[in-house]
Amino acid sequence: MDLLGIMLAICGAALAAGFAGAGSAIGVGIAGESGAGVMTEDPGKFGLVLLLQALPGTQGIYGLLIAFFAILKVGLLGGGGAVTVNVWQGLGVLFACLPIAIAGYFSGIAQGKTSASCIQMIAKRPEETGKAVILPAMVETYAVLALLMSIILLNGIQI
Amino acid sequence: MVPAERYGYTVARLRAMENRILDDSVLQRLVESDDLENAMKILGETPYSSWLVELKSNSEFDKTIELELGFVYSEITKFVPDTRLVDICRIPYDFHNVKVLLKSHILQRDGGDRRFDLLTTLGKIPTDDLILAIESEDYRLLPFGLHSAFPRSLTMWEQSHDILEVEKSLDRLLFGEMRKLAREINVDAVDKWLKGRIDAENLRNILRLKRMELDPAVVASFLHDGGWVSIERLVSLLGEPIEGWGRVLSFADIGGVLLHAQESIDLSSLIVEMEKVLDEYTTGILRRAKYGAFSPENILYYIWSKEMESKNLRMILVAIANDTDRDMVRGLMRRG
Repeated sequence: MDLLGIMLAICGAALAAGFAGAGSAIGVGIAGESGAGVMTEDPGKFGLVLLLQALPGTQGIYGLLIAFFAILKVGLLGGGGAVTVNVWQGLGVLFACLPIAIAGYFSGIAQGKTSASCIQMIAKRPEETGKAVILPAMVETYAVLALLMSIILLNGIQI
Repeated sequence: MVPAERYGYTVARLRAMENRILDDSVLQRLVESDDLENAMKILGETPYSSWLVELKSNSEFDKTIELELGFVYSEITKFVPDTRLVDICRIPYDFHNVKVLLKSHILQRDGGDRRFDLLTTLGKIPTDDLILAIESEDYRLLPFGLHSAFPRSLTMWEQSHDILEVEKSLDRLLFGEMRKLAREINVDAVDKWLKGRIDAENLRNILRLKRMELDPAVVASFLHDGGWVSIERLVSLLGEPIEGWGRVLSFADIGGVLLHAQESIDLSSLIVEMEKVLDEYTTGILRRAKYGAFSPENILYYIWSKEMESKNLRMILVAIANDTDRDMVRGLMRRG
């Protein structure tokens, strides 16, 4: 049963890193396609395009962060050695990882689409770069909220 | 139907290419040019400068316009996920070329000269291939149903000697092929654009035919199926005064453009005014595309905007070359 608890915690960490990372990969890909389109015509916009393309990448980082926290929590990382984790504690870690896994996946894709649209915007109006960064950053809010919730939930689990 | 996600690159590139479209200030400067030389200097500051070096004299400005439009067509064809979106805009040029070659063929038989100078390079079929197919009477590889339409048109001419009848049958085939392509593309906005375009073409035809005071049955044969307004409803307009057409067609979007009919002095000036209004109506259908970051109709919107730019530029340069009234040109310029 102890092993099952650890496995559930690992599953949570894998979901957090995997789903949030996948969302980011799709989002960065969508924004990258638009960026390539703009740079084919105007290579001088590389700096602006790179900034906007990088924005959907943060969900993957948040997912990775939560995955680290989760495996640290069950003692799989660091010098302390593995701790005893029962099924309910393992399940708790798994659930704590879900906010960033789900919100990271969907917000990564949504942010990628918004970034792609904003890249199109700066293709025509480079003077509006400030506004173009704010719009995808609004999507980021929800990934940050999910990250906070995952951290709070992980901290709340007593092992 | 190609998924919308695949249009990210295309739409972004088109947004960047929108900087190639001449803005109003450049067009106004062109209108105010004293002569063709000054106008060409202004054009030299725009993306058209690349093509100016190929001109032997300023009076060949039409070639510049065609080269720019040809560049846009060939460039977009390279990166668009569904090339049928470009083909649907190029087909009218292919049919123009076929009409030119058909008339050349007829002229040549009667001892006249062939008019290859009237061919345009903007069609999908390369002009050399088209000439070769027609000269060698090997029509098998002609697309868009032209493999059978061309010999049929020749037979029609031999039987009736009525070029209008021949052109009518080719136009019918043109709109039929465009409808077929729109069905294959399977994008709602493309279908709406084509329906609007057919309505505009029908209204343009019916106005011209009203001036000729033709029989309604004859008028009906010049109209095309597939628009929002049925041919029967359009033919019924002939019994109404032009001022009442807007009321009859108030159920359709195109009814709104007929409000201009009430302000016009005579039919001839109305026809000229309606050319512009109907083009702007078609632009209006596509304008919503700019709010979609992944919408395929952005391709049509860009191409149509370039087409309107070409029309404006041609009007301005012809007016400058002939030293005609610039205010009249300003009034006829299509707005984007």
